[in-house]
Amino acid sequence: MATQRKEVLVDSVYSVIALLCILVACAELCGASAVVDVYRLIQYDLAGVPFGSRLASLNHHAGSSFFAPGADLSRTVVMLPVRELNVTFIREYIGQRKPLGGLLFLLPRMFSSEYKDSAGGGDDKPGKELLRNILVELERLLIHANIRYPVYFAFEDDKIDAVLADVKRNDATGQPATATTGGYKLVVTAPEPRKLAPPTITNIQGWLPGLKADGDSNQLPTIAIVASYDTFGAAPAISVGSDSNGSGVVALVEIARLFSLLYTNPKTRGRYNLLFGLTSGGPYNYNGTHKWLRSFDQRLRESIDYAICLNSIGSVDNELWLHVSKPPENAYIKQIFEGFHNVAEEVDLKVGLKHKKINISNPRVAWEHEQFSRLRVTAATLSELPLAPELLESTGGLFDNRHFVSEAAIFRSIKLVAESLARHIYGQQGKNINIFADDSNLGVNPAYVQSWLDLLSRTPRVAPFLSKNDPLIMAMKKELEDHTVEVNVQHEVLDGMFTFYDLTSAKLYIYQVASVTFDLLLLLVLGSYLIILFSFLVVTTRGLDDLISLFRRPPSRKVKTA
Amino acid sequence: MTMFHFFNCAILTFGPHAVYYSATPLSEYDTLGTSVKAALVYLGTALVKLVCLATFLNVSESDSFDPYQELLKALIGFIDVAGLYFALTQLTHRNISQNHKFQAVGLGWAFADSVLHRLAPLWVGARGLEFTWDYILQGLEANANLVLSISLAALGSLMWLRKNKPRTLIPIIYACAGIVSTMPSITSYLKRGLGWHFAEVVGFELFVSLVMAFFSWQLFSTCQKPSA
Repeated sequence: MATQRKEVLVDSVYSVIALLCILVACAELCGASAVVDVYRLIQYDLAGVPFGSRLASLNHHAGSSFFAPGADLSRTVVMLPVRELNVTFIREYIGQRKPLGGLLFLLPRMFSSEYKDSAGGGDDKPGKELLRNILVELERLLIHANIRYPVYFAFEDDKIDAVLADVKRNDATGQPATATTGGYKLVVTAPEPRKLAPPTITNIQGWLPGLKADGDSNQLPTIAIVASYDTFGAAPAISVGSDSNGSGVVALVEIARLFSLLYTNPKTRGRYNLLFGLTSGGPYNYNGTHKWLRSFDQRLRESIDYAICLNSIGSVDNELWLHVSKPPENAYIKQIFEGFHNVAEEVDLKVGLKHKKINISNPRVAWEHEQFSRLRVTAATLSELPLAPELLESTGGLFDNRHFVSEAAIFRSIKLVAESLARHIYGQQGKNINIFADDSNLGVNPAYVQSWLDLLSRTPRVAPFLSKNDPLIMAMKKELEDHTVEVNVQHEVLDGMFTFYDLTSAKLYIYQVASVTFDLLLLLVLGSYLIILFSFLVVTTRGLDDLISLFRRPPSRKVKTA
Repeated sequence: MTMFHFFNCAILTFGPHAVYYSATPLSEYDTLGTSVKAALVYLGTALVKLVCLATFLNVSESDSFDPYQELLKALIGFIDVAGLYFALTQLTHRNISQNHKFQAVGLGWAFADSVLHRLAPLWVGARGLEFTWDYILQGLEANANLVLSISLAALGSLMWLRKNKPRTLIPIIYACAGIVSTMPSITSYLKRGLGWHFAEVVGFELFVSLVMAFFSWQLFSTCQKPSA
């Protein structure tokens, strides 16, 4: 608060600074109107073909979508709020590879992890659905294009909204940027993006061993519950994937907790081993799952009775699908589906069965269970997605955040999986018993689920940018250690044709700048001011004649006054 | 472009001093030495002032205008007058006329003030990309300050160097000198006590400087008459 004193001091300090002019000469302060965090569009090579934004540094004037048609935008950063995004404009510019100075997408305020107001879905559903569709389309365009200029995402806030309003006003009137009308320059200083070393992917597994009857525990059949935890999105630094596949991870952790309660008591310890696996590399054809399964020995692999993969189970719809790659007539599949179907009716869910054959020659692995199926392990994926996603789709995109998942849906899914598993393990199929009743100590713990969902919803998890010892990986490992035994962390190198580049986030400096014309004009005014001052002083102190004589005589000769 | 803007602001801040020196007879009588000495005296004064401010001024709790603190600041501001007195009377100048002496001292004084207070912010700020009117206004303020310094030097030379001045004018001279030397306090009051914007303050300073220049010119010329 001591600004008065401070100003006095600053005044005096300036004198000192001037004395130490050498120091000042190297000082470069940035008095920007605003500094905002921005997140760069992903840059990657797929089999050597470049995709994404190929540049990081930005230094251009800001523009909005209200420019005159046909204007040259190759030196303009176009600021586009996604709420009012014109998809045809984007399609035109990216599809036809028209030159731009850069693109800055403004994501709605509620997408920011700092935004706390109303959590959870439900409100304004049509608007959300529209926004989601726009973002999905935008993301698909961006990540499959080779863009030669920097593309950034930022969250809307008061400062940036004010800048945008100014820019729009100028563009609408068609005025060039001047000091008085407020031209803005957007600057991101960044080095050239560099290739990252082939990313490490980390799989975490934990066991809940069943009760040995007599002999080796490995003789017991195993049920695997698997969820892939990493994400891929247009902006890796904000790709949190609350639904894909944060919801699956949350469900897995909670199921592990519930069964650990049952398995610690010898009376309720089942005759099945439970294997929990958190796998990485999900967006890249479930590469982590593949590596993880390969690391098992044959006996273990054969002991797996079946595997349930959890993928995107947190959205509001009341319908889930069980995706399988064996024909539905298969006895095991039938058994699993029956189990889910019966429990689903009790928790007001609909579960459908979808069968998709595997084409071994096709490298694309759309579902995690397909990696199991390729090794002849019975497996199914529980997901809300009715159709198999394409490569790099539904893996935690721009829209996939906390506001688009519903806790209620996750609770229901957890109950569905836990209950049907428990009935299978304890041989209670078809009976209407409620093992994980809501109010019992075996009920789903909402606070626990919420806290994990919140943690995952603010942690970007794109594998190339997650280190081996990332706090999140450590947290997941610790959580599994708390509930299961023999927790094992496996580090593998992601194979495949992906090469990633660094620089996922940056600081954007917004400067209000004057145009060169303004400075030229200023120079003109100042020049004439000094000339007038000079003439005035000469006339008042020496007389008009002297002034005239100054121009008559050559300047080298001294003018003598009487 | 930013260097360009810096250049513009520097012209506005320091140009008038150069113009004043070259346009008036100061350049012919080679009074540069006097100006430099005055500037050095200003430096010393600034140091003394700094020490005094740091010693006597309390850290005020609020942002508001504190009359007692401001009074103290104004008193410390009078060290400037003492410095000017020293520059005008004690320095052994070459034998130049009183008429030119005060101008040279005022000019050196104003120039040193501009360099110390404005060059550093200008160098740091005006080269940045961000545009503000502040540096242009600051340049205008430097102009007002030049006029005020010369007026004060003129009044000072009337007070201390001229012996045979009309008695009726003496109180007026002292009043004018008082006003001019308390200008820093007045502007600080306007800025913080009344919450004026920088542009308004600069406008006021320009206005006052012109008025004071007119007064001191009139006073100087009336004092000149009997002897002339």
